[in-house]
Amino acid sequence: MADAELKQKVEELIAANPVLLFMKGVPEAPRCGFSMRVVQVLDSMDVEYGAIDVLPALQPLREVTTEISDWQTFPQLYVNGKLLGGADIVEEMFDSGELAEALGVEQPEAAPAPAATLAQSPPLQVE
Amino acid sequence: MIEAALPGAKVEVADETGTGDHLRATVSAPQFEGLSRLDQHRLVKAAVKPRFDDGVIHALSLKTEPLG
Repeated sequence: MADAELKQKVEELIAANPVLLFMKGVPEAPRCGFSMRVVQVLDSMDVEYGAIDVLPALQPLREVTTEISDWQTFPQLYVNGKLLGGADIVEEMFDSGELAEALGVEQPEAAPAPAATLAQSPPLQVE
Repeated sequence: MIEAALPGAKVEVADETGTGDHLRATVSAPQFEGLSRLDQHRLVKAAVKPRFDDGVIHALSLKTEPLG
């Protein structure tokens, strides 16, 4: 059972911030590779976002997000009050253009993290 | 484990770090049809939860798609 006071606080934060990232560490210094990947994606887009470091209260926040969104792991990106996903889903949505659409911004031309995206990009196709 | 929870699923697992506890899995399953990505991931994560709980797996990157 999640802490009721913390849960209310989290719900208020999600409601108050159109784009809100729960992450390990802070955007300037992520403390986890998955959190870093989401920060890189967001920073590549013309979007303002709030960020909350979950590390100081990891277990209580895990219980809260489990109740709110049925999601236990961090990072978690919320857009307009709804959970979009963690690093895998956010990157997939970035690649497909769905993330730009959800955020209401233009799809950037440059890839967010050259090293990370290069490794996953499909081989060049010859038509 | 994933195949047992999602009969008919196609699962590919790669060991990201060579240590066996940071895995990348691509899962296609007929059960994903009509589900959001979030729900597809929830199904897979529920299936492997015991291995997270006992500490065998620390991290799992997921890519899911409907099969069919």
